[in-house]
Parts: sequence; structure tokens; C-alpha cells
Amino acid sequence: MRELVEHTEGINRLMARFGVKFGIYKNGEFHEQLFPFDAIPRVITGEDFRILEKGLIQRVDALNLFLKDIYGEKKIIKDQVVPEEFVFISSGYLPECEGICPPKGIYSHISGIDLVLGKDGEWYILEDNLRIPSGASYPMIAREICRRVSPKTFSSNQIVDNRNYAELLKETLDWVNTGGISVIMTPGRYNAAYFEHSYLAERTGSELAACSELFVENDYLYYRDYRNTKQRVGVLYRRISDEYLDPLTFLPESLIGIPNLMEVYRKGHVAIVNAPGNGVADDKGIYYFVPKMIRYYLDQEPILKNAPTYLPYYPEDRKYVLDHLEKLVVKDVAEAGGYGVIFGNELSREKLSQMKEIIKKEPRRFIAQEVIDFQDMKVSEGDGTVLRKADLRAFVLSGKETKVWASGLTRFSRNPDSFVVNSSQGGGFKDTWVLSQ
Amino acid sequence: MGIISIEKADHLYWLGRYAERVYTTLRVFFHIYDHMIEQPEGIYAKYCKRLNIPDIYTSNKQFAQAYLFDEDNPDSVVSNMKRAYDNAVVLREELSSNVLSYVQLALDTFQACKKTTAPLLELQQAIDYLLAFWGCADDYVDQEDCRNILKCGKYVERLDLFIRLDYHREDLEKEYRKLVNRLYKANLDYNKENLKHLEQIIMDKGQQKSYDQEALGCLGGLIS
Repeated sequence: MRELVEHTEGINRLMARFGVKFGIYKNGEFHEQLFPFDAIPRVITGEDFRILEKGLIQRVDALNLFLKDIYGEKKIIKDQVVPEEFVFISSGYLPECEGICPPKGIYSHISGIDLVLGKDGEWYILEDNLRIPSGASYPMIAREICRRVSPKTFSSNQIVDNRNYAELLKETLDWVNTGGISVIMTPGRYNAAYFEHSYLAERTGSELAACSELFVENDYLYYRDYRNTKQRVGVLYRRISDEYLDPLTFLPESLIGIPNLMEVYRKGHVAIVNAPGNGVADDKGIYYFVPKMIRYYLDQEPILKNAPTYLPYYPEDRKYVLDHLEKLVVKDVAEAGGYGVIFGNELSREKLSQMKEIIKKEPRRFIAQEVIDFQDMKVSEGDGTVLRKADLRAFVLSGKETKVWASGLTRFSRNPDSFVVNSSQGGGFKDTWVLSQ
Repeated sequence: MGIISIEKADHLYWLGRYAERVYTTLRVFFHIYDHMIEQPEGIYAKYCKRLNIPDIYTSNKQFAQAYLFDEDNPDSVVSNMKRAYDNAVVLREELSSNVLSYVQLALDTFQACKKTTAPLLELQQAIDYLLAFWGCADDYVDQEDCRNILKCGKYVERLDLFIRLDYHREDLEKEYRKLVNRLYKANLDYNKENLKHLEQIIMDKGQQKSYDQEALGCLGGLIS
């Protein structure tokens, strides 16, 4: 592995050549930034991965059943496992999706589950991302380059090849395809994850399209080519948020949506990946209930643990949160990308009491979690290494079967004092090796 | 893969045009730069006039820097390079990551050698990357239509520049033939009258008064 690490700079140079970037807006201006890669990998043993795999499949299956239930019979609410108000006041719940059963009954086709490895050796789930989780393309291309740089590293270690993500994704898209071409829909090149959109289109052989290339006619979705002929779309892997999907159903001011798309979807003439309305299940507030869902739908004990979480919505939890705020991390359920995360121990006395007032006033808006003492990871710096916080985004694909990609995106913080690992906050990434033994 | 939308066709065409614009103007600049060694100040004025770009330059030295590297100058070579990149970056699945990478490398070269004291030394690398881009496009762009549209853009741009820069009839004729060949294959809508008239003007070049503006007009309205 030393050989690989010695070439970190060269690997990053190749990444730049292939445009491995993400976009961010600073002062209203779009900038493309390279996503710094650290060649020291996260290594997961075969034995650990098997446990993770089982736990992740269990979790995503339960979440898919929850979504089917919420937009259908709502048994989990009737049985009082999840409080009604918790579901229906979630911003991710879309009444427009009521009664719609997506093709093959799958809601979350691509789930990005964020985990950390505690110092106790246990994996903890930090959050579920069931809308449009991004990040798989980075370890895919990193592995491709690392294998070129140091073949010996890969021939002398039994590392499961992770370059099958595109095949898994294609398989997943094909499984729900209602008859037509496969399209990846992008909001355009000024989206933060545009590299990923274009790379996945290239690797899966899907068409990459913006809304202007797609249109609805007689309840079917079509893609128009330059000779003015149209191709029916059978599966739309959309990389835009629910609210922008269809201006006639959601935000009327959306310029990046497709008018009448929801009508096509409602009639079962196109599969939308992931299904609209999934936000209700990855709401940070609903996260608290996932272990209960696993017991309820699958009659199994959860294999993977949630981080100890409190809902200020419940008076008992609220009291605990207010009494222990200085040692908790508070998350705004409406935020994502590392925003809206507040560490109690970083707040001044005045800010702490302001925060308590806000929690009292808007208890549904927040969750609070114990700060997990998670394992630091080695990151190259200069000629040596330093220790930094890192998480793992595991990708679970639900098609004919639910499968876990034997890799994942390991993100690390470049700031020694930070727990926030998001690329938008200046973090870097590592490859994730799953050993075959 | 295999379907080219109107937007993608447009990006392919303009990628071809901008990549060619950068390539040809860089090569021409190499000659101007050489002439500037012995010639008086302001030698660039004629060049600007021919290309119909504003002469905003104050000295040979300033021209050499600003025409090549000023990102705020819409007529600079780097601005054209950025436009080539803007069109290329949305075509990854048509071009492939390999082909796209040469456009990225050419752009990176411009950005890396902004402050160099020997721009021609460094920019040779950008020319090499652009040539590699075309070679790689021939080899790795699977769809024939994509290649043909890309090349239509390339030859329209080349003819445009050659007409403006008063190249010989033989050179124009050669590029015209290449354009016609691609145009027939690309299945693009084009103005047949304009093409015919353009041919006449090129064939008559040198025998009659200059019809450059007319030729440029035909070329501009050739592809809708």
C-alpha cells in the first residue's frame, strides 16, 4: 500500500484530468472544485462487511416497506408505532403521492446510508438518504486510477472489485423499467453533483438529459432527438429534488421540471428513481423510528444501531436535551449537506440558552444525538499522516433483490477539530476496500 | 446511449467550433508573436481587424498577455477555450471520459501557464492536447453522428477563420470539401443555397474582387 500512498499527488492529478469535481456556490457564483482524494483506504474485513451487508439490507427493506405503507394503508400509524403527526408534518411527506404504487413496489432504489465506526468497534447509522444520495462515482473512478498506479497493491490484497456499481445500477434501473429507454435527468452542469450525473450516464449507457430534452405526450414520457424523433422513456433516474420535478404538481416556478410527469408516473408509465415522496422516510425525525420499523415490518431485531437519539418532540426527551445540551449534537431536520448541525459543546452560554429557547418553541424541528466517539482515520499530510474524523456512505440498491455495493464513499474532515465531513464543507474522500476474507 | 438530442447536437457543433478556434488562433498567434520581435508596436491591430474583434490592446506585450490569458476578455483564446470546455463537459457520455479529459487538460494548461514568461513554450502543450482530443474523438466516440456533427463545427470554424485571415484558395477549397463531406453525413439541417453560393465564392477567389463578407454570411447561415 505504501506504493499507492506515495502516488497520492499523481492520483489526484489524474482525477483532475477526468474532471472529478463538485460544484459549489460562493457569493452567488458557481465554482468547480476538485474533491481531494487520500490514498490511504478504509479497509473493511469480509467478516465485518457481511454483518454490515445484512444490517443494511434489513434497514433498507424496512424503509421501503414503511414508504409503501405510508402512501398506502398506513398500518404503522394505525398501530401507533410511529405517531401520525410525525409523518404528516414532515416536509418530505408528499400528499400528491398518496395511493401511488411505483413500478414493482420499490420506492428507494438507491439508498445512501451514512455510518460511522465507533471506538467500541460497532457501526452506528448516522442517517438514511433515500432521495437522491450521491457519491458512488468517486470511489468508482478512484479505484480505476489506483489500480493503474499500483497493481501490486491490488494483487497482493484480496480486495473485492468495486467497479461493478454501474452494472448494479443498470440492473436496478432495468428491473423497474416500464418499457423504454433509461434516462438520467440532471438539473444541469451547474449542479454540485454534475460530474456524477455524467459519469454514471457514461458508465450505465443511459441518456443524460435536462428537462428541455424531455416531454410528456398522451401520458407517456419522451426524449426528443435532433432529428425530431421521440423515444419513450421507461425509467427516469432523476437527480433533481421532488419539489422541482413537475411544475404542474409541485413548485409552479420550477424551470427544471417536466410538466405532467407526475401524471405519467401515477399511471405507471414510467418509473421514477428514487420515488417522489421518499423524504418522509429519511427525515431526521423519522430516523428515530427506524429500529421500530424493522421490528414492526420484519419482526427482526435491528442488526445495526442508530446513534443514541432524542426527539425534543417528546416531553421526556425534551427535558433530557435541555438538561444536557452542552454534550449533544443538535440537527435541524430540514437541513442536509452538513448544514444545520450544532455541537452543544461549541456554544457559548448565551448561545446555549438561545438554542434551548428555539428547541422549546420548535421541538419538531430538531433531533439531538449523543456525540459518538467514532474512530479517527489516518489521512496523508505532507510526508506523514494525521488523524481525522471520517464517515462511510454505503450504497444499497433495491431491484429484484436488495444488494449492498461492496465499497462506499468514505469522507473525511480536513479540519482537525471538525466532525463535518461533507465535500461541500471542504472534506476529502477515500476509497473503501472490502476484503474478500 | 445512441440518441442525440437537439441540445446535445448544438453542444457537439459548438465544441467543434471552439476547439478549432483555439487551435487555429493559437497557431496563428505563434506567427504573430514571432513577427513582434522585429516589428513595431501595434502589429496586432491588423489581426484584430481581420478577425473582427475589438482592438483593446495597448502594446505588443500587453496583447500577448491579454489576448491569450485574460478571462474577462470574451475574445481571448482562454475565453474560447473555456467555451469549448463548457460545451464538452455536458457531453461526457457522448464523448467518453477519455476524450473529454483532453479538453480538460488543454484548459488546465491555459490556467497553469497564465503567469509564465514563455507562453509559447507552455502553450505548445495545449495545442498537443487539442490534437490529442481530435485523434481520440476519432477513435473513441462511438456514434458516427456525434463525430460528424463535431467535425461540421470544426470545418465551419476553420473555413470562417481561413476566410477572415485571407488564406489561399487551395486551402479554402480543401477545407470546404471536408466540410461538405461531413455535412452530408451528419443529417443536420443546412441551407443548400448558402452552401452552393459558398462554393462559388471559394472557387472564384483570386479571380474577382473579394467576397469575403458574403462568404462569411453564407457560412454563418449554413446550419440552423
